[in-house]
Amino acid sequence: MILQQIINGLSIGAVYALLAVGYSLVYSVLNFSNFAHGEVLMLGSYIGFFSLTQLGVPFVVAIVLSVVGTGVIAIVLERIGYRPLRLRSAPLLYFMISAMGLSIFLQNLTIVTIGPNFRTYPDIISTAPITIGDLYIGRLDLMIFGITLLSLLLLTWFIYGTKMGSGIRAASYNMRVASLMGINPDLVVAIVFLLAGATAGVGGMLFGMKYTVYPWMGTLTIKAFIAAVVGGLGSLPGAVIGAFLLGITETFAAAYVSSAFRDLFSFALMILIIVIRPGGLMGVVSQEKA
Amino acid sequence: MRKHSWIFLVLIMALLVAGCQPKAAEPEVADTIKIGFFGALSGDQAVWGQADRDGLLLTVNQINEAGGVLGKQLEVIAYDDKGDQLESVNVVKRLINEDKVSAIIGCNSSGRNIAVAPVTEEGKVPIISTFATNPRVTVPEEGTLMKYTFRVCFIDPYSGDVTAKFAMNDLGAKKAAVLYEISSDYSVGVRDFFVKSWEDMGGEIVADEAFKTGDVDFRPQLTRIKEADPDVIVMPFLYKEVALSAKQARDLGITATMLGGDGWPSSALLEMAGEAVEGSYFINHGDTNAPNVQAFAQAYKEEFDKEIEINSIMAHDAMMMLQAAIENAGSSDPDAIRDALEALEGLEVFTGTITVDTETHNPIGKAASIIKIENNEFVFFKQFDPME
Repeated sequence: MILQQIINGLSIGAVYALLAVGYSLVYSVLNFSNFAHGEVLMLGSYIGFFSLTQLGVPFVVAIVLSVVGTGVIAIVLERIGYRPLRLRSAPLLYFMISAMGLSIFLQNLTIVTIGPNFRTYPDIISTAPITIGDLYIGRLDLMIFGITLLSLLLLTWFIYGTKMGSGIRAASYNMRVASLMGINPDLVVAIVFLLAGATAGVGGMLFGMKYTVYPWMGTLTIKAFIAAVVGGLGSLPGAVIGAFLLGITETFAAAYVSSAFRDLFSFALMILIIVIRPGGLMGVVSQEKA
Repeated sequence: MRKHSWIFLVLIMALLVAGCQPKAAEPEVADTIKIGFFGALSGDQAVWGQADRDGLLLTVNQINEAGGVLGKQLEVIAYDDKGDQLESVNVVKRLINEDKVSAIIGCNSSGRNIAVAPVTEEGKVPIISTFATNPRVTVPEEGTLMKYTFRVCFIDPYSGDVTAKFAMNDLGAKKAAVLYEISSDYSVGVRDFFVKSWEDMGGEIVADEAFKTGDVDFRPQLTRIKEADPDVIVMPFLYKEVALSAKQARDLGITATMLGGDGWPSSALLEMAGEAVEGSYFINHGDTNAPNVQAFAQAYKEEFDKEIEINSIMAHDAMMMLQAAIENAGSSDPDAIRDALEALEGLEVFTGTITVDTETHNPIGKAASIIKIENNEFVFFKQFDPME
């Protein structure tokens, strides 16, 4: 049973990882948590859903549409909700408030326009699990795991292997100095939101396939946020490690302590980490981020 | 600021869109009897809140076409509580204080009906719940009674008891697992009463697992249930979680028969869960395929262009109770209606014959229907007599 529970934990962690990275990316450059991230995920999930059911496009095309769509949505949200604050050097608290406002707005807009119903993705791959002895591994879980890893690899390559990535990393150390060195801060921020939005798009598709689509599915990203905090906000490897740690902790809490206590453990883990290591597992002193 | 004026324009337009939902309250007309309705018209329970409302509206239309009650037309004032207890309390206060309704019908949730019961008690307006099955809705604690709260459905102990008897006698199960929603009064209630009846009958509970409202992943709990190897899994919660957990259970290779309650019946379940719930059974208050409801179901489909849900039938029956009470009372005064409701006896409705128990305000003698899911359809399996 332990093996099965580890598999369960890893597959839950994989989805958290993809979303935690989105939180960390934005935090690393702007130093605030984009609470509207969950709603971008939700919109991505709807884009994927309608692409598959209404347009009837193949799965790969749907994922591309969803990624492009959420990338654009994230940039637009940044323009509307955060850029005016950024230009006025508003306190960070205002960014948070703006983010929460956007989140509530988008959720309700979706309820009013698309409707409150749950929608089920059409079956992409066979739902029959793969059995190895006593172990059951869902094909969808394997696929989600694979897509998550691929997305994370692409993201890592972009951040560490391209010129723009160096720019983002420079900006995450110090935006002002970076801009003195000729890096366009608006462009960096736009790219960061594009990347965060794109991961939310992939996440939204995967989430939707596994757990159905509905307007307030974004609230589930609270767990991804916890993962990002546990791993150290602003650190990408930290977000991934935090996500898997959280997935496994949750699963084991549910399996060996009591399923009713699952969330208690998630939040206790977060508080414990914050108390012991305020920067999170991989978070270093605030001057050395990403 | 001029630069940002378009943002405000977008926001204002969005607000307009939000504000354009159908207005519930119509200008006051003198010779009508006002009936309040509240339910989740948006949010994750919207499927049922809307089914409640539409069932009520259709029934009221039919009554009005036939001449109304006491020669007066009925008028429904419907509010959305978004499935949120705080909102329920707000809208019920509004129905009582501002709209001055004669009686209220709603809602489909024990938690929300428990929250509004003190409000109707204070405002002295009778309320008939369609689907609040927890005993504490009408009897908050032993020996007390919410004088103004009534219901048209049978209660959870009965549901839990029927589930236990059916699993043991009809399915021959010995080992049962329970998965339940720990943050729902309804789910915890059925679970408690099932466990009690099951153990009294000599059955064994091999796994007892909980989850929290809003959870989407049940595999840790299900893996434990799989280890315990039960004959049946009792799943007393709502269709969305049923669909997700059923799928995940089948993915983990669990083959036990799944048993549910009145949170299951929704066409959305069949669409979401598909094969995973095939061969499962659930206990329900009635059957949408029963011969006596076909004319109503047909009219419902023509009026609202969707399939009828069991909730619409319960809302119809609640309205029948209210109509009978108003006629017996000969008045639309809330207190007179309350007294007449309490005295109601042998009223024939779609889901059985209703006699209100004066001690508990629960309907006495309602039978339970057992529904099986076959070929992705709800099929009537058998009637469970309350005296059995």
